[in-house]
Amino acid sequence: MKKTLLSVFSMLLVIPLLAGCGTTSKPATPAPSDTASSQKTYKVAYIARAQSDSFAAWLANSVKDEAQKYPNIKLEVFDGQANDDKENSMIENAITSKYDLVIVQPNSGESQRPYVEKVVNAGIFAITTNARISGIKGASSVDAQPYEQAGVNARAALTQVPQNAKVVVLQGPSGNFHADERRKSWQKEFFDKRPDVKIVGEQIANWNKDEAMKYMEDWVQANDKIDAVISMNDNMAAGALEVVKGNPKYEHMLAYGVDGTAEAMFLIKEGRMTSTCLQNANELAEKLLDSSNKLLTGKEKEINTDIGNPLVNKDNVDQYIEILKKSGTIK
Amino acid sequence: MSTGNNFWTTIKKKYSIYLILIALFIVCSLANPNFLSVNNLTNISRQLAVTTILALGATMLIISGMLDLSSGSVLALAGVFAVSAYKTTGSLFIAIIVGILTAVICNIINALMISTFKAPPFIATLAMLTVSRGVALLFTKGQNILQLGHFTVLGQGSIGVIPIPIIFLVVIAVFTWYLLNHTRFGRSLYAVGGNEEASIASGINVHKVKYTAFIINGIFVGLAGVLFMSRVNAGLPNGAINYEFTALTAAIIGGTSFSGGVGTVGGTLAGAFIVGFLDNIMNLTNVDSYMQQIVRGSIIALAVIYDIHTRNRRANSMLGRIADKGATKK
Repeated sequence: MKKTLLSVFSMLLVIPLLAGCGTTSKPATPAPSDTASSQKTYKVAYIARAQSDSFAAWLANSVKDEAQKYPNIKLEVFDGQANDDKENSMIENAITSKYDLVIVQPNSGESQRPYVEKVVNAGIFAITTNARISGIKGASSVDAQPYEQAGVNARAALTQVPQNAKVVVLQGPSGNFHADERRKSWQKEFFDKRPDVKIVGEQIANWNKDEAMKYMEDWVQANDKIDAVISMNDNMAAGALEVVKGNPKYEHMLAYGVDGTAEAMFLIKEGRMTSTCLQNANELAEKLLDSSNKLLTGKEKEINTDIGNPLVNKDNVDQYIEILKKSGTIK
Repeated sequence: MSTGNNFWTTIKKKYSIYLILIALFIVCSLANPNFLSVNNLTNISRQLAVTTILALGATMLIISGMLDLSSGSVLALAGVFAVSAYKTTGSLFIAIIVGILTAVICNIINALMISTFKAPPFIATLAMLTVSRGVALLFTKGQNILQLGHFTVLGQGSIGVIPIPIIFLVVIAVFTWYLLNHTRFGRSLYAVGGNEEASIASGINVHKVKYTAFIINGIFVGLAGVLFMSRVNAGLPNGAINYEFTALTAAIIGGTSFSGGVGTVGGTLAGAFIVGFLDNIMNLTNVDSYMQQIVRGSIIALAVIYDIHTRNRRANSMLGRIADKGATKK
């Protein structure tokens, strides 16, 4: 019995490690051979935070598509699997493999900082994105501002959320830079300015729709009313809205998210979700490849740029649905 | 006096899990007035349906000395395939069949690795966990499948006042109970889990038992996948992460032993509801996320310690009886 239990506990401990081994860091595209063509071809590594995260997957797909437009760039995508240690190893591997440029989408910025510094010290161009790791001399960055993404929603909510409202908050994973920054923004831009608003439920739903649903189902039972759902991403907001779908009591409930997913766009269009902030992966990808090209061809030495943080609400949702349709994100 | 003691010992031994469940139910009712509302209890059952269906499959496998760590990922794969089939054909029936077939195929591969190639169950199903999640992500390119239309009826609809997922859960629980208690296959599962060599010696076709157990588990996981995606109104390739652990937790708390040969449907249902009640009351009373994790982990630890303790006591008393008999013979 003891042996069995020991093996079970050992098994539980090694799961994350082995799970990682199961999906080795094979590049998504075949490694380019040393080119003998007349045009100089640059090797670019894109190290994604986690391709199982729907936004990160969208961004990785957009980066791959955008790279097709640059014949002088051979891009390889690596999956950091939401694991700092794995992602850091991949950055080190990229240095060893002598890539010309490394794009890092950090899992948690500070953990990747020394490794991105190593990239720069090795004489390789480095770009950090979604979110940027600021203050690395010689490294470039392309980002959206997570604080501002939540901020545009929070400032709109200041006048939309009724007096003495009861609200629930759905948080992203603990320690995640975007999750923390967005929550911080809601605190400073909204809760600190509206002390009359009471948080009647706050939980970490890990960006997931199903987890958010479960929490919302319980909050609906525990509270006589919920005036607003404040969610750090659209997926969780959609989960909360799924629970109260068709319930006339929650017809006027407000709901805020971030990302601008297709589902959120449709919910805003239907009048069920109040607003979101579009974090446009296509725009990020365009800027990433454009910046890469400029750095590699010597047109620029260092680039720090941001995409916009547009607030999407019922007044302008059609315009953004069109943009996402054109980019193929909404079919 | 001695009869009274025996009565309580029997009650404690056989029904302790149900006593814990009842005690927890009473504590929760007192802790928050909303707990006892019909809506809340229906919600708990609806929330538990998917993981409890997985737990019933897990119970069957653990009884026979096996394990399935892939059920959450296979559920997601079966679910996104089912959603995709529904979007293509518009047929709920085809969607369910596709979901079940997907999960059954994954489970046959599990059985092949474990029974035919003698791979340890946790390694084999761990491999399946990774592969099936990868296929789900590859198939959807990591994106959610949206606008499911009528597909949501299975997860969100009701027949009368009873939510459809609960009907599925009850049917599956009764089926599993019957299978374990009233069929030759059920007895074989206990025998194989209790002592595989002895089962082979007594003429049980162990391969057949293991394959059948995995196929039935596959049917459960496939159905759970359809119900899950229907409930969340989306095809989520990232859905149901760690559900296999929730299922295992329910089974372990319910008294299913990892050493095999021990476990009941009633115990697993009670285990699932203990976890469900705890989660629910912690949310109703707004206990923070970190504390919830600590409570959940502690409950598992207590259940496992209790399991070891009872097993040791049983073993000791059995050894004692054997020693007594030996002494009497002398």
